[in-house]
Amino acid sequence: MISLDQVSKVYRTKTIETTALNNINLEVPKGEFLSIMGPSGCGKSTLLNIIGLLDEPSDGAVTIAGKQVQKYASKATSHFRNEKLGFIFQSFHLIPDLKVIDNVELPLLYRKHVSAKERRRLSEEALESVGLKNRMNHFPNQLSGGQKQRVAIARAIVGKPEIILADEPTGNLDSVMGNEVMDILLNLNKEGGTTIVMVTHDENMARRTHRLMRLYDGSQIK
Amino acid sequence: MIRHIIKLIWNKKGNNSLLIVEIFLSFLVLFAVLSYVIYNTDRLEVPTGFDTENRWLVFLDRNDKDMDSTANAQMRINLKNDLQSLENVEDVAFSNPIAPYSYNTWSSSYDDLGFEMRSRFLYADINFEKTMNINVTDGRWFDETDKTATYEPIIVNQFFIDQYFPDKSMIDSIIPFGGDKKIIGIIDDYRYNGVFEELQETCFFYQPYTSENSEIIYLKVAENTPKSFEEEVSKMVESITKSSSFVIQDLKAMERRNNRQTWVPMIALLSISGFLCINVALGLFGVLWYNINNRRSEIGLRRALGASRVGIASQFTGEVLILTLLAVLVGVFFAVQVPLLKLIDIPPNIFYRSMFYSALIILTIVVICALYPSAQASKIQPATALHED
Repeated sequence: MISLDQVSKVYRTKTIETTALNNINLEVPKGEFLSIMGPSGCGKSTLLNIIGLLDEPSDGAVTIAGKQVQKYASKATSHFRNEKLGFIFQSFHLIPDLKVIDNVELPLLYRKHVSAKERRRLSEEALESVGLKNRMNHFPNQLSGGQKQRVAIARAIVGKPEIILADEPTGNLDSVMGNEVMDILLNLNKEGGTTIVMVTHDENMARRTHRLMRLYDGSQIK
Repeated sequence: MIRHIIKLIWNKKGNNSLLIVEIFLSFLVLFAVLSYVIYNTDRLEVPTGFDTENRWLVFLDRNDKDMDSTANAQMRINLKNDLQSLENVEDVAFSNPIAPYSYNTWSSSYDDLGFEMRSRFLYADINFEKTMNINVTDGRWFDETDKTATYEPIIVNQFFIDQYFPDKSMIDSIIPFGGDKKIIGIIDDYRYNGVFEELQETCFFYQPYTSENSEIIYLKVAENTPKSFEEEVSKMVESITKSSSFVIQDLKAMERRNNRQTWVPMIALLSISGFLCINVALGLFGVLWYNINNRRSEIGLRRALGASRVGIASQFTGEVLILTLLAVLVGVFFAVQVPLLKLIDIPPNIFYRSMFYSALIILTIVVICALYPSAQASKIQPATALHED
């Protein structure tokens, strides 16, 4: 499903060159739940951004669903992200001026040929699957951290993507809420067959996934 | 997407209200100024109906009434003949004291069995047409036969005909206008208060130059007549009238002075509006810039969820355009009351055109101001923006 071949990422300024990722090779088969761990600044988020087409590798090839995506033009990349990928972030990234239902609808807004009625139906369905349908007319600031992350999960799954990329989804939550969110992700992976790549600092959460990949200073620890 | 933008605007109505009020007030100010400007400039293309170049006016002393009528007539005969004999004088005419750009007006209305006609009155002699280059479009100007005419002859402007006798041939018609009057000629116009003056019904009556009411002398002087020639005219008029209480004025200079009185406030108002527009533009630019910086993570998120760069730029431009349209709509609602309720007595089309141009100017400013910040927003790297929060 996801294949990274000799992927490197180097940030260059006039005076400094920083290697964020160094020759990463990674194969994530369809339906796998992979977690990535490592100390801060080791390149976990960079790796996730490259898989999520939010950033480009300096070198190497990225293949997702059989397509060499790093060669895509900007518009095609946006389209691909919208169709194939779902994102969950540590700080939720909900738009404070939109109600929960409107936040969940967002990915469908950028998808052609989805009527307003259909968007509404799919969003309600996604909210129901994370147990927050009754909060759909609330604003994000009226929700707890766990609820916000569940809304973010609903937003990630509303477009039925094949891959979910989660960047420390439990990082801002206490253990109870963190476990709730983890349960939802595990369920999505198990029931829906969604491929999930999760960056985490939490060893316990990582242990619940199929496979753990460790990074250190931009390199993969074998 | 429009519905989504409207939701965003509505949910941030508190933040947006100030911007809407600013645009709304700017629209109203622009509307008022443009209405004034359009009202005044609309008739710039329409000729006044007479020439001002190389025309001099001599305003005779109105208090000099101690001469008997014979002496008065003789004085005017002498004035006409002697002035006409001067090398630089091509034509001489006389009129009553209603001179161009003097702001004297004499108007009256007559009611004939419920049919009311109103007009400005002017009295002029046979030479007036030639001296002032009046354009007679139908019929003729006064001539010697009018001195003994059965019906008092009048010459009216086309506007008079359009108002009271549209689509009728009125030459040689007798009309009840303070007694029976015969229309012997139609002129295109005689807007003696200048190009900014509204079209008005105007009627010329015949007045022999020998009449003691012929208080203004019109001189058509040769091209390039030096200003020093005025002294020669002055000496001649003084010696004939035995008075120094007269004034000689260049009609072109009078016209310039008169027009300045409208141009100056118009340019001042336009300048103020221009500054206001610049203010609005800077305000909008600032608000947009602030919004974009405040919403970097939202931009990153939208890009991550599938928005293209064009989509981001369109969204920010769309937000400000919808806000502006809303403000302009409120403005139009208030502005349209002016012509609908006839609050000001000028043609309604001026207000409608002004509304259109005001909206166009505001929308153009908004689009120009929105383009650059929106383009910058679209260049925000999603990975960077999402990581900042």
